[in-house]
Amino acid sequence: MKNLAFLVFLIFSIANAQNKQILYDFAGLPQTLLINPGAEVSNKFYFGFPLFSQVAVQGGFTGFSAYDIFADDGININTKISDAIKGFGKSEFTELNQQLEVLSGGFLLNEKMYLSFGYYQETTILAKIPRDVIALLYEGNSDINRQYSIEKLSARAELLGVFHVGISKKINEKWQIGARAKLYSSALNVNSKQSTGSLATTFGSNNIYKQQLENIDFLLQTSGVFFEDTDVLTPAYYVKKMFLGGNLGLGIDLGFTHHFKKQWTVSGSAIDLGFIYNTQDVKSYGLKGDFEVDGFDLNFDDQDPSDYWNDLEDRFNEELVLDTITSKYISTRPLKLNAAVNYAFGKKLDNCRFDKRPGLYSNKVGVQLFSNVGAVHTYLAATLFFERWFSKNFQAKITYTADPYSFKNLGMGIATQLGPVNLYVLADNLLNLNNLYAAKSVNIQVGLNFIFYDKY
Amino acid sequence: MMKALKIILGIFAILCFQGCTKPIDFDQIDAAEIKANYILTQAYFNLGSSNFLDEFGIEIPLQNDVIQAQISGSSQKHIEKIEFTFVTQNSFDRAFNVQIVLFDAAQEQIYTFKPTIQIPAYSGEITTTIEIPKEDIAVIFNTEYFSFFVQLLPSTDGSVISLNDDATLHFKSYVELFLNYKTA
Repeated sequence: MKNLAFLVFLIFSIANAQNKQILYDFAGLPQTLLINPGAEVSNKFYFGFPLFSQVAVQGGFTGFSAYDIFADDGININTKISDAIKGFGKSEFTELNQQLEVLSGGFLLNEKMYLSFGYYQETTILAKIPRDVIALLYEGNSDINRQYSIEKLSARAELLGVFHVGISKKINEKWQIGARAKLYSSALNVNSKQSTGSLATTFGSNNIYKQQLENIDFLLQTSGVFFEDTDVLTPAYYVKKMFLGGNLGLGIDLGFTHHFKKQWTVSGSAIDLGFIYNTQDVKSYGLKGDFEVDGFDLNFDDQDPSDYWNDLEDRFNEELVLDTITSKYISTRPLKLNAAVNYAFGKKLDNCRFDKRPGLYSNKVGVQLFSNVGAVHTYLAATLFFERWFSKNFQAKITYTADPYSFKNLGMGIATQLGPVNLYVLADNLLNLNNLYAAKSVNIQVGLNFIFYDKY
Repeated sequence: MMKALKIILGIFAILCFQGCTKPIDFDQIDAAEIKANYILTQAYFNLGSSNFLDEFGIEIPLQNDVIQAQISGSSQKHIEKIEFTFVTQNSFDRAFNVQIVLFDAAQEQIYTFKPTIQIPAYSGEITTTIEIPKEDIAVIFNTEYFSFFVQLLPSTDGSVISLNDDATLHFKSYVELFLNYKTA
């Protein structure tokens, strides 16, 4: 049971709508190109330490934290569960996102163009849970006349590998633009969106109560989930699927950086504008219709006895049609939008401390916005940040983010460069470091690169 | 610059070293329970005088109907109580009894609802609640046939039901399942 509880904690506290607010435009790290292909990168070439150039885990649950339930405070756990359910919004969502950069590299093609490429593996689980569904499970359906709606019930899960190559091009001193082409290889996809319908128990006329399923329209699309023979599901199977053996798709990232005034910069990007064509191991389920029952109407006719149960079952299957669909389908990737404006100030970086990156200011302050659209919910986050280059070897960034999980999310990132060795560590929700279990979300990224700069 | 660096590292150190967790006890999960009540609508009938007379106009003292059901036992272990509620209304000048008897797949009688539902003559809305005791809940899940016996009780003055009688016996019901999911 303890393990189960810890698992619940992990699900609720690991992984945050893929907002990488600390990494965005930080310290000229090569990985910033994965969030904005139009970011400015000043190295001559780089390669990431295989499997460790970016390890990112983000996640959370907007409803309540593990501490809300498991705090050792003498209060009965059932009281705490009840309080947590009472505090449940109209709908809450949970998310787990994990990225592992397997290979990455990049180099300056010429004075104006930088080419970067690589392969990463990504897992995403998103679920939006309406309050009514929780109420139905936690309290039952004895609240007469209440409509238990499934309208906001949606979920998404993906396991895929991504091959990518991108170009960041300097147009002039003010503009930098970039694009990244992506080839997705999906091992697993689960998609359920736009559910409608409700369940209700109301006072009836023929019987005390009648029960209704109204306007039910539910579609669950899956690929790589249901198998006749589950013995095939080995780690090797998933690795093969993620290396071009799975359902394939295409995508593109777009981005720009614009210095609209001497010390002012605006940037933006659209990430994962793409789709996957699910053709292998597809099994989808659709449920549609209305159904109403007020009980078994006994007629006491021994000459013509009724088969009440089977008649009801037949009517249920006729009126609420469950389709099993094996046709191919297209799933879009959750689109991530980033925008930022910053003001650079402080000492201009001199040739003594910053001989490899001239023309920069030592401080940056600004605002970033992030949105994740087309997922099971629309996620918005706003971040205030301060970034400081202490030297060419050490940079730090502090962020303050308001998002659906929290209005007081303090994050921090540090990047160091010793010779060609570049190491970065980024984490948020630092205000919860004194009580990790109270955090509704966690976001951690670490990476090791080898970055080589031109001598000036 | 060094001052700012020290401040940042200082903040980070304070955040990191003020203790990483407050007391938490995952073993509490063993005491967790979720209590939910589910209502399911059940059988109903409306019987007129013709239901109690044969083709010759002779009273039929006992009527019977059966629901053959396959009940899933998957949630049986979580059920703490089952409560049937019956609402009756009778405009006949005759009293009735309704008895519900359960039979298994071999058509062996395995349970009788107690008490018998008694419906006096000319009675308005009467609610009868029958609770299935916890020790008998397993019987419900072994049931294949739910038999409803409606007994027309003899009149006290010797009168009989006539086909022209427009009286009706109304019977409505629902069941409430009291579930308690325990993690331990």
